[in-house]
Amino acid sequence: MVEEYKIGDMAEKVQLLKQTATELKRISGGIQAVDRNVDRILASIKMLEINVSDILDIAG
Amino acid sequence: MSSGKYWNPILETLPPEKLQQLQLKKFQNIFRWAYEHSKFHHKLYSDAGIEPDDIKTFDDIRKVPKVEKSMMRAIQGKDPYPYGDMLCVPLEEVTEYHQTSGTTGQPVYQADTWQDWEWFAEAWAFVLYAQGYRARDRVFLPFGYNVFIAFWGAHYGAEKLGCEVIPGGVLNTEARILKMQELRATAMMATPTYVLGMADTARRKLGIDPARDLLIRKITVAGEPGGSIPTTKKRMEEAWGAKVYDHIGATEIGPWSYECIYQSGLHVNEALFLVEIEDVDTGELITELGRRGRMVITAFDRIAQPCIKFDSKDIIEWSPDECECGRTFRLIKGGVVGRADDITKVKGVLLAPTSIEEVVRSIPGLSDEYEVLVTKKGDLDDITLKVELIPGQERNVDVIRGKLVDQLRVKTGLGYNLEFHEYGTLPRYEVKAKRFRDLRPKE
Repeated sequence: MVEEYKIGDMAEKVQLLKQTATELKRISGGIQAVDRNVDRILASIKMLEINVSDILDIAG
Repeated sequence: MSSGKYWNPILETLPPEKLQQLQLKKFQNIFRWAYEHSKFHHKLYSDAGIEPDDIKTFDDIRKVPKVEKSMMRAIQGKDPYPYGDMLCVPLEEVTEYHQTSGTTGQPVYQADTWQDWEWFAEAWAFVLYAQGYRARDRVFLPFGYNVFIAFWGAHYGAEKLGCEVIPGGVLNTEARILKMQELRATAMMATPTYVLGMADTARRKLGIDPARDLLIRKITVAGEPGGSIPTTKKRMEEAWGAKVYDHIGATEIGPWSYECIYQSGLHVNEALFLVEIEDVDTGELITELGRRGRMVITAFDRIAQPCIKFDSKDIIEWSPDECECGRTFRLIKGGVVGRADDITKVKGVLLAPTSIEEVVRSIPGLSDEYEVLVTKKGDLDDITLKVELIPGQERNVDVIRGKLVDQLRVKTGLGYNLEFHEYGTLPRYEVKAKRFRDLRPKE
């Protein structure tokens, strides 16, 4: 069943999301409304890593 | 794609050898994290002469020292207050506080970051999706939202699935039942004791037959072993006209095990947790099916206060049965059948309190409530079982007594003093029931 899914492509998009969120926080100028929401986004991205990215080198 | 059965078809159907590879990688990561960020873990592992680079194979995990609840109690109340030096993140990153119920002693504080809380909900999402919860469900949660973790995680897990969640917090039992009826709730979650208690209240005080008058068709139970005791489960399913699914979790661990819709046993979520079963006396790893031992568990992704090789003292066994669902997550049989410090000897016989519940709930003339008292008379153990007759069953008391004596002898190997009490006079519980009282002097 693992082969049915584009794990590599998904993991790449997850990485892009993470980079984008991290970059957003870097340029936020310390605006709490940005930083705190980015922290929540990063927590959700971590769940995507657990569900997809962490399996990348094993499922293949 | 055949993703409809699973929350995550990639993880849930991973071949066992790949699952083990994933577990090793994740264990290495959480071990290194704790070693580098928690003074408690650093000292524990340094004293044992083990460092992150020493975990190279799955067998190396066996060398890692266990953590017991008493160790957690010993460090809490100190800086960083109140969690002590098991904490792996700065205090300002902690967003959630909960504590254990204190069933086995002083409650343990549990810190979680927002990421941990996302993870807790994620782990619950695996549970609920496997039990058939979907976005169309309207889920009622009849528990007191407070410091105990109880169904907090289920609330957020159900939201993650897209369910509509109704928080039935500070309502009494009657109000909760009426709200479920009013809103046509389709699912709920509670302890087995409260599931039975609610049905009893609905019938006696409101004239509502839950199976007939309510639309609850899925119930997830946790907090007590009843969901894996066939006679208790049967009573719940009949009372509510619903499927009842068991789940096991703990404040300091997370939601680690669950029944799926096939009810073949409880799957261990082996993508998020490593469960090891050890011989109670020797500590030897048990891999064979059907042999009971104590559970040692690791949660791979909880970072604020990691759970690594936690000696839960829960007694479990790997099931020889297979599940039709297709998940490769292994099954445990009968849920948590006792605790290493709870399975006690009475009159020289090992007694698991769950066996008594199985018998009481198998006899139709008895109510759902019971109480067991173990005392000492001189040098001899004495065990008393208090039960309630359902109104109208008084004339059958001798038949019921005979069934009780026979079944208790078969299931537990013991003779009991039996007391029949008037219906409604034994204690009722909303959360974890305390029906087994060992009043013998401690040696």
